[in-house]
Amino acid sequence: METMLRVTDIHAAYGAVRALHGVSLEVAEGEVVALLGVNGAGKSTTLRAITGLMKPTQGSITFRGEDITGRKPESIVKRGLSLVPEGREIFSTLTVEENLRLGAYVSYSRETYREDLEEMFELFPILKERFTQAGGLLSGGEQQMLAIARALMARPKLLMLDEPSLGLSPAITDHVFELIAQLRERGLTILLVEQNAERALEVVDKAYLLSNGVVEASGTAAEVKAQVDLASIYLGGEDSDGTGVGM
Amino acid sequence: MSLLRQAADWTRHHAALPLLAALLVVAGLVINFLGSPLLVNIFTFFCVSLMMVIGVQVFMGNSGILSFLHVGFVGVGAYVSGLLSTAPATKALGVPNLYPFLVDIQIPVLPAIAVGGLVAALIAVIIGYPLMRLSDAVAVITLFATLIVFHVIMTQWDNVTNGPRTFFGVPEYTTLIVALVAAVGFLLVGYWFRESSVGLRLRASRDDRYAAAATGIHVMGVRYAGFVLSALMGGLAGGLWAHYITSFSPKAFYLTEMFLLISMIVIGGTGSISGAVIGTTLVTVAREGLRQVEAFINNARVLPFEVYGLTELVLAVLLVLVLVWRPAGVIGGQEIGVRLLRNRRALPQEDVPTD
Amino acid sequence: MIDLEFVINTLSLGSLYALLALGLVLVYGILKLVNFAYGEYLTIAGYAIFLSATALSFPWWATMLVAVIAAMSVSFLTEFAAFRPVRSKSMDAMLVTSFAVSIFLQNLVLIVISPRAKAVPFPAFFSDTVTVGGATVPVRNLLVIGTTLVVLTVLSIVMKKTVLGMAMRAAAGKFETTRLMGVPANTVIAAAFIISGFLAGTAGIFWVGRSASVDPITGSAPLLIAFIATVIGGMHSPVGAVVGGYVYGLLFNVLSITLPASMISYRDAFMFAIVVLFLLFRPEGIVRHGYIEERVG
Repeated sequence: METMLRVTDIHAAYGAVRALHGVSLEVAEGEVVALLGVNGAGKSTTLRAITGLMKPTQGSITFRGEDITGRKPESIVKRGLSLVPEGREIFSTLTVEENLRLGAYVSYSRETYREDLEEMFELFPILKERFTQAGGLLSGGEQQMLAIARALMARPKLLMLDEPSLGLSPAITDHVFELIAQLRERGLTILLVEQNAERALEVVDKAYLLSNGVVEASGTAAEVKAQVDLASIYLGGEDSDGTGVGM
Repeated sequence: MSLLRQAADWTRHHAALPLLAALLVVAGLVINFLGSPLLVNIFTFFCVSLMMVIGVQVFMGNSGILSFLHVGFVGVGAYVSGLLSTAPATKALGVPNLYPFLVDIQIPVLPAIAVGGLVAALIAVIIGYPLMRLSDAVAVITLFATLIVFHVIMTQWDNVTNGPRTFFGVPEYTTLIVALVAAVGFLLVGYWFRESSVGLRLRASRDDRYAAAATGIHVMGVRYAGFVLSALMGGLAGGLWAHYITSFSPKAFYLTEMFLLISMIVIGGTGSISGAVIGTTLVTVAREGLRQVEAFINNARVLPFEVYGLTELVLAVLLVLVLVWRPAGVIGGQEIGVRLLRNRRALPQEDVPTD
Repeated sequence: MIDLEFVINTLSLGSLYALLALGLVLVYGILKLVNFAYGEYLTIAGYAIFLSATALSFPWWATMLVAVIAAMSVSFLTEFAAFRPVRSKSMDAMLVTSFAVSIFLQNLVLIVISPRAKAVPFPAFFSDTVTVGGATVPVRNLLVIGTTLVVLTVLSIVMKKTVLGMAMRAAAGKFETTRLMGVPANTVIAAAFIISGFLAGTAGIFWVGRSASVDPITGSAPLLIAFIATVIGGMHSPVGAVVGGYVYGLLFNVLSITLPASMISYRDAFMFAIVVLFLLFRPEGIVRHGYIEERVG
């Protein structure tokens, strides 16, 4: 398997507050990888650095052999790297249709667009029903489906999901994880950020555990499971209120 | 030992104040001794400008709300002080439509300046009550619109201001020494406010309004206090300015002048008193230099037409360049003493917490 | 007192104000920048008519085209040369920059053209009057209503049906997420400035047309109007801006009729007092919006 994404020793800071102190990770083609850790561990910051939303102060990021460190988010998306942001970030005043159309901004062609839409309707039948409604009127779970579909419309080579189960009911969380498994079946490469380590480890090949801005443990899902006290991550995450710097 | 350490600590944190005051006093006394009329003129203007800029800093620097209104308070101070201290005969001649009761009043200059400051503060008390509830863009727009309203009133109310025409005959009072003493006084007040409990709470509300409110800070209250103090200082500075320049019109309290004040504070850095001093110095020097150039071009007839506005044009470009390269101002929002004495491994420039 | 003439005059004033406010809000929505240089785009439009009519002897329709193009170009240039470099710094840096750009443009025309007002030629039919249903109104007032209707219709189609329009609407609420779709930040922002310039140019034609003269500070009054209208209508939505423009037009005309003659010169001050009172009770404007502020970095 060829390495698709390689993050080498990145450091990043929000002003004076350092959030990452040298994070390295690799995602190979076809792999599903989890990035675990409590709130403030640096998971989201790592994703922000990969997507170009923030510049690492040090270190490098390569995607499919090309150095993308410090590039603009729009040019990184064009190269096939899409993010489903934390909190879903649906364009609430735009319709579902318009959300999806913007998702296809980099991939749009008259022929493929219809096909891609049909495919999304198949994966997420609810979106077909809600097609002309404003995104802001959807329920949390529906918004998460829309956010994933919107990212998929870009035809990404690597899909990154930031806390896709955050704030969703257990039933919908199940649905999201089923979906990730389904996408994995299709051969999509996925980098999944989760606080819910136990659930994440069920669907991934490999995992990295972040803690205070460094990788504390890594390996196959089984190895990480054996190495780490999952309850501590999970409960740690539940306790904190989301004000950490890793947001 | 501990006393020594306390003293050292105090010096570390408050070195800026004696340092700036000493620099100011030495420069002022030297220029006064040399007696060159041009230098005396420039330095006196510098001191009055500095007072205005410190007035802006007190509100804007601590609250984080960009206020274009300040120059309006300067105008209030100038008109009130001018009206109260000018000889009745001069007023009757200069402001033909002046309300009769205002014609007859004449009080000495110093109390007149004080009343000017108080009137400005009173206006701030009244308009600040609704305005201080606003934040962000709406606050900026509203303060800007208020300046325009001030300007409309100054140009229309010819029973008081002589309308858009020049108001003249204000007694001369402000010498270099008077301006210097007043500027040092403003330096003390500006610094004191910044370090005071209200100033500290105001700065906390600037950095994070919601967090500040959540810790029990009455955001509107501390803003209000800063606004009124700032207006008082603006009014006093306006009075001193009026008694130096002796004749003026509403134009002097409008966008061009406000732009100069904003340039001064932004170039120096809004976050500190040192920034106000340094910005005022740089802009004063640049402005005088550019005026010489403008005068030279016009006198030498280098161009077929008279050049006006070159000073503002170049200052506008300089201002944008400073914002691009040093967005927190040339000294980065800190007091100079702190900067000189602190360990050089400073934090990244634009993210430096300003205290 | 409320007759057809009043209605048409109010609609025409409101239309002009709506165009002004909309141009300001489009940029504010995306960049969270209150553009103090916005008024200067109108000034530029005025000088463009003046120069193309006097120096180049263009026909009237061409002078107006030149005016709109000039305003669009200057708007784009200010974005490119001034706002883009400071965009990532701070909110205040952008505000101060826009103030500096405003001063720069004012002094530029002062130096390059003249500090004195210049007469701007307009076609004769502009100031003719016609009788509509018993009311005598200037043609100009009907033209501004018609133009505004067309501009608003076209603009709403562009915003709804084109991808760039969707991207601009998306960016107005969630700028970063819009970039994550692959939409270049510079494209969206430049588009907003160009449309803003288009609206300023169009409004500028009618604004300058009222006095048929232009001077370096022609833009100050319309800037203030745009400010107040957006505060009334709400800073966060284009619909709010348009509503605010019409409400302002109505208030203005009502005050013009009801204020005693001696107070008419203080009309602006009264307008503003009303706005401040209004803000006390409804700081988010008439049209509320669900978005939370997000700063562009």
